[in-house]
Amino acid sequence: MVNVKLVNVTKRFGRVVAVNKVTLVAEHGEFFTLLGPSGCGKTTTLRIIAGLEYADEGKIIFDDTDVTDLPPYKRGTGMVFQNYALWPHMTVFDNIAYGLKIKKLPKDEVRRRVKEVLDLIKLTGMEDRYPTQLSGGQQQRVALARALVVEPKVLLLDEPLSNLDAKLRVEMREEIQRIQKKLGITAIYVTHDQEEAMVISDRIAVLNQGTVMQVGTPQELYKRPRNLFVATFLGRYTIAEGLVKEVSSEGLVLLHTPAVKLLGIVTSPEIRLKEGDKAVAIIRPHAFKFHEPQTKSSPITGVIEWVSYLGPYYEARLKVGKLSFLMTVDPSIKVEVGMKLTVYVHPEDIVIFPAKALREESYGAELK
Amino acid sequence: MASFLLRKIRRELDSLTSSQLIIVLFLLTFFLLLPLGSILYKGFVVGNHFSLAYVEQTFKDPQMIKIPPNTALMKFTQIYRFKLLPNGSRALIPINILAIGSEGPDFGYILNSIFVSTSVMIFASIIGVIAAFIIARYDFPGKNVFRVLLFIPLLATPFVNAYVIGKVLGTSGLVNYLLNNVFHLPYKLVISGLPAVIIIQTLSFFPIVYMNVLSSIINIDPSMEEQAENLGAHGLKLFRTITFPLSLPGLASGATLVFVFSMEDLGAPIGLAGAFGNGLHTHLMSFYVFSQFQQAYSLSLVNPEAYIVATIMLTIATIGFIIIKKYVSLRQYAMLSKGGRWSPRLSRPKWLGLAGVYAFMTLLVITASFPQFGVIVLSLTNWATSGPLPTHLTPNYILALVEKPGVVQAIKNSATYSGLAIAITVLLGTSAAYIVARRNITGREAIDVLATIPIVIPGIIIAVGFLVFFGSLFPNTLFDPFINPGTLLIFTYTVRRSPFLTRSVFAGLQQTHVSLEEAAMNLGASRTRTFFSITIPLVAANVIGGSILSFVYMMNETSTSLILGSHQPSQGPITFLMSQVIYGSGQVSAVSIAAALGVLLMTLQIIAIAVSNYILKQRVAFLGV
Repeated sequence: MVNVKLVNVTKRFGRVVAVNKVTLVAEHGEFFTLLGPSGCGKTTTLRIIAGLEYADEGKIIFDDTDVTDLPPYKRGTGMVFQNYALWPHMTVFDNIAYGLKIKKLPKDEVRRRVKEVLDLIKLTGMEDRYPTQLSGGQQQRVALARALVVEPKVLLLDEPLSNLDAKLRVEMREEIQRIQKKLGITAIYVTHDQEEAMVISDRIAVLNQGTVMQVGTPQELYKRPRNLFVATFLGRYTIAEGLVKEVSSEGLVLLHTPAVKLLGIVTSPEIRLKEGDKAVAIIRPHAFKFHEPQTKSSPITGVIEWVSYLGPYYEARLKVGKLSFLMTVDPSIKVEVGMKLTVYVHPEDIVIFPAKALREESYGAELK
Repeated sequence: MASFLLRKIRRELDSLTSSQLIIVLFLLTFFLLLPLGSILYKGFVVGNHFSLAYVEQTFKDPQMIKIPPNTALMKFTQIYRFKLLPNGSRALIPINILAIGSEGPDFGYILNSIFVSTSVMIFASIIGVIAAFIIARYDFPGKNVFRVLLFIPLLATPFVNAYVIGKVLGTSGLVNYLLNNVFHLPYKLVISGLPAVIIIQTLSFFPIVYMNVLSSIINIDPSMEEQAENLGAHGLKLFRTITFPLSLPGLASGATLVFVFSMEDLGAPIGLAGAFGNGLHTHLMSFYVFSQFQQAYSLSLVNPEAYIVATIMLTIATIGFIIIKKYVSLRQYAMLSKGGRWSPRLSRPKWLGLAGVYAFMTLLVITASFPQFGVIVLSLTNWATSGPLPTHLTPNYILALVEKPGVVQAIKNSATYSGLAIAITVLLGTSAAYIVARRNITGREAIDVLATIPIVIPGIIIAVGFLVFFGSLFPNTLFDPFINPGTLLIFTYTVRRSPFLTRSVFAGLQQTHVSLEEAAMNLGASRTRTFFSITIPLVAANVIGGSILSFVYMMNETSTSLILGSHQPSQGPITFLMSQVIYGSGQVSAVSIAAALGVLLMTLQIIAIAVSNYILKQRVAFLGV
């Protein structure tokens, strides 16, 4: 169990900068996730930690040891590959025992430890099967067992669930989290699935084009995105553009859009807004309250133009001028198309960014 | 920056990579680059200076480039023969002999070769494309029989097949026997010279185009053609606008290989010389170089023009390689040969079309495979001495394979050289394939080129390079080609045939996800340990399959066997002996022993192809080259 430190790590493939001055720390026993769209450099970063790629610049440090130039086989990481990488010419037992045999452990101990780890991943009795005789979920467990059995300093997981079907994916991510917490091992996890990242991680680093956009707990990232990329990459939202009318002393920003007036917050000291600036507001679907709260809030009045049933809740769109606010609605509240409605949003739930960021860093966000 | 490079070198050059690099670079430098370089040295350095004197001499030599060329194509002569009439009397009747190729065309050795290779490439392409399209797109009873028969021309029976063609097409051959004695027509047709070379080579090389185009067509995503049909294209228009353009990479590589193979071929000119005597069919660059070096017991006796001719052949081969690389890199080529992943688009021709398909296929299969069948007949009967048709069976020639000391020795020699060469080839091929597929080191592309280019380099050129390089620098050693050609044959076999294994292993590595090896290294296995415990077991089928094919091609290896073998006949391999009995010895029945050797080689090839296809589970791949 170690902490993993990346200092100014840069990796280029030809002219493409895959990883750009990335600095990160994954703490002892932490479940740390690298999250980002495809091509953002998250897998490359993981492979650099494993030693399967070498950084062009920067350092990788495990606790106090500089491992930047160590080959993969001297790093002591345990990696689970996206395609599992189970050796088809070896049985489950031989696959799992491989790392132990390399360490020249006595046969008895190898057998004991393989049995233990098979118990841990609930595959007892499957030792003599070949990987092709296993289901996708079982293969996934074997790959995890093979990485864990050598008691690695750090567990690396490269989109391990992407080849599983939706239901199994949910089961396996709970399983992985359970095992990681039980062993107390530092884990670094790569995924492009934001929901998966939210559920499984202690902390998440959001990457875009090789650069770290923000590091934080799932709650921090979701509620306090520090830039428009993180705000638009994570979760769903409504975006509204307008002019800054007023910036109060406690940091609240009043934004006048053609349709509504929104009172929101800024999340980063680097964002400076003044009266007359163009800005955008980001509002999450769950932020809308249907009764006027006691505290200061922004009322929004419009007409319901679309309703969809999703089981535990409804989704609806509230049309206000040219804007259409996406909101989740509790089934106890009756909404139907054509209904006129006023909803309220707390300032903490409205995050304001300068409008120029929309072009520069948003993840596919467009203004209507 | 310097320290960064140093760190990178230290990281990348682990013990496995360093030893593989040393193996590959050593073998390719000593047994490919330096021998080829020494040909250039001999051709372009006069005294101690660079000089174009030999180039000038060569291009001014009327034997090399004939000005004006002789463009005669055929000659008509009339002879009179007695013929027995039904009433018992004899009459003198005229017989018209149409001789094609014996008097011309002749443009001189260099242009003849280019003329022949171009013609063979064009004819082989036309036949190959039609055959591939029929097999890929039509379904008809007996299709699989034709599929198998189309491979027969690829079974190499060096020299004897050309002898059979001479035996069938010669003045008193089977065709003329049928014309005169069965149909009683007063005509004779005799084809020799360049037209005969073109016919023989077209018939033996068209399957290379056929297979490459076939694998291209099979790999076309059916939705490509379905979309075109959806937009209204069909029939010839569909073929011309979609199918044919998409199969061009296969045609380009197939046609280029045919050109190069035709240029380096010695089988046709030597076989025809055995049947007709030395004629225009020997006025080719390959035969010129061969004759210069076969007889030369000292390099000083060689006409320096031979080095220039060798350089020309080397240049053309290299250009051919670049074309293949550019059009379909060999890498892609390996991918192309994966076999059909799609459900094939097959249609059943209507009866008129069916008749056309059968007519074309039957004619093609019969004309293309009769030399191989002829070789079998020759080995089992007294055909060599009996005139136009054999009269009785005899086991003597097959028995000679185990009884005649000279023949047994040749078989032993071939097996020994090929066996040792395979051991070196496995080392060279797996190392080169692994470096190219898995290691990201500077100069990787160069290794890729060096390891695969021998596919197109004429064997004669490599043999000449060996004679010059080792003959000049290693006299009276194990590597002296005039004393120990056997040792050097092992290395020519290795260099010439290792690309089959390299490509086979490379294809295997490409189909194996690299994460399987990364997982092992992640668990603490060094690169060497990973290579032996993970990589090699995963590509074992490719190593074995590639080795079998390489081995068979080594047993068949002609040009280097002939040139090097001639200097120490007791060390000569099978193909050398075959050329001797066809071209060298006056004893006619010896041809039948050569045919028996040909049958032995064919049997080995069939077994090897069957076994390696079974192991590699690929129907089409690797046969082509």
